[in-house]
Amino acid sequence: MYDNPGPHRLVIDHVTKRYGANAVLDDLSFTVEPGRITGFLGPNGSGKSTTMKVLLDLAAADAGTAVIGDRRYRDLRDPAGTVGVVLEPNAFHPGRSGRNHLRILAQASGQPPPRVETTLATVGLDGPAARRRVGTYSLGMKQRLSLAGALLADPPVLILDEPANGLDPQGMHELRDLLRARADRGHTILVSSHLLAEIQHLVDDVVVIDDGRLVATATVADLTRSSARVRSPEPGRLAGLLTTAGGAVEPAGPDALLVTGLALDVIGDAANAAGIAIHELSAEAGSLEEVFLALTGASRTTTTTNRTEEGARP
Amino acid sequence: MNTIDLIRSELRKLSTTRMPLAFAATLVVLAAINGVAVAIGTDMDGSKTFISTGADQQSLVAFAANALMIAGLFGAIASAREYGNNTVIATFLNTPKRARALGAQLVAAGVGGAIIGLVGATCTIAAVAASLPLTEFEFLMSTSGVAQVLAASSWAGAAGAVLGAGIGTVVRNTGGAVTGAVLILIIVPPLVVQLASGMASWVPTALANELSGVALDGDSGAVAAAAGIAVWALVPATAGLWSVLRRDVV
Repeated sequence: MYDNPGPHRLVIDHVTKRYGANAVLDDLSFTVEPGRITGFLGPNGSGKSTTMKVLLDLAAADAGTAVIGDRRYRDLRDPAGTVGVVLEPNAFHPGRSGRNHLRILAQASGQPPPRVETTLATVGLDGPAARRRVGTYSLGMKQRLSLAGALLADPPVLILDEPANGLDPQGMHELRDLLRARADRGHTILVSSHLLAEIQHLVDDVVVIDDGRLVATATVADLTRSSARVRSPEPGRLAGLLTTAGGAVEPAGPDALLVTGLALDVIGDAANAAGIAIHELSAEAGSLEEVFLALTGASRTTTTTNRTEEGARP
Repeated sequence: MNTIDLIRSELRKLSTTRMPLAFAATLVVLAAINGVAVAIGTDMDGSKTFISTGADQQSLVAFAANALMIAGLFGAIASAREYGNNTVIATFLNTPKRARALGAQLVAAGVGGAIIGLVGATCTIAAVAASLPLTEFEFLMSTSGVAQVLAASSWAGAAGAVLGAGIGTVVRNTGGAVTGAVLILIIVPPLVVQLASGMASWVPTALANELSGVALDGDSGAVAAAAGIAVWALVPATAGLWSVLRRDVV
């Protein structure tokens, strides 16, 4: 069924996409490896969805290439059998039943009718829910139906844009288990989400973009321990120095800084060379949220986190 | 995936919403109006000469011009709502060869339009036939006349739906697509005739009437009329194809 029985690596290679004079993606490059779950993070408007659309040939890149297992999406022999997609949160006709929505997808992609019922059961939408019109579904049910569409042909690649939106804790748990099981089978999974606390427990690798540019790509483990806490009597001067050296610097107290993107020895050497006293220099295992904010700019308010949703942060 | 599956999938899209019911209701209402007109309507002089001959009755039930317009709206709404509801994303994900995907959509719209034309003409003929016993006239249409009306309505319905779907694909907005279909089928043709009177036989309603065998001053012939209606449909469809190939889907 698949175009290529081997692993499907997703490769975004120097992709630029402009809308008018505005570059939504700016020379963006990264890869997504098979057998791993890769989180795709960035503030709202950073270009995540556009990247996915370019990868899926729904939008044309102005420069660069995006391929799935060495082929452009349009050149895949069986696109629906190779890539499962959740892209828009509400891509349904509200007057159509959930079952009919899947039947349409199944018929277009040559899937046998029983596969519709199997997939509905997989996402917990079998029974009366399948007969209801999608317009009456909750957000969580719509997400489940989107996921059912993506899983319909049991594809070896999943590209999911905010699949956890609206899911209850049980749904989140099921999504985690489902994606992990597929990654363990060697499937390639790219997941964008703004629920950073959730995604930290879900993904193996992270790609962070901001303003259409790559900010970081690493394993979650590497990224979250790449922060350093530095205390100095000259935090302002040190911050400027470390920013110039390529680090992302965030205040962490009256005389402390949280530095991301620079190794401890680089920070120490730079401070020493500039004659800045260091009172503390330690590795800090931050949360993905902290690292994300440091990488993309703490002043941005476009990223929703669990904490802000709960009102814990002013 | 094969082309037949794609077309069947598109037909299932059209048949699994309430839109067909709304259009079916419209056809029934139009047929009922014709039936009532036959039963109680008269000409200006109080006579019922408008149903006094087979040709008059064929003129009354000729549904092709209506089919063209109703199916045009059907195609425009169906196509534009694909974009409005974002279901077009799944369409082009499944079939990234966009010309092929759009081709399947146009064929499905054409089939839907043909059904609208056929059902509309059948209902109208049935309503008129049911009302004639209430008058002094009987059903006088020949079998070939009935067949011509049904075939013309089906063809015009198919062409209208393709025309509407082409507009919907270009405009991608239900209100705009409906407006576009109304402009092309109703408002623009008289203006064209004003500018070039020789075009009078080639506007959609004149072609539909010619195809139904009821044109007052028809001189184009049925085959040419069928071809002319097809051209009216293919121009927006081609524009839709150009649009789909050139623009981002979302």
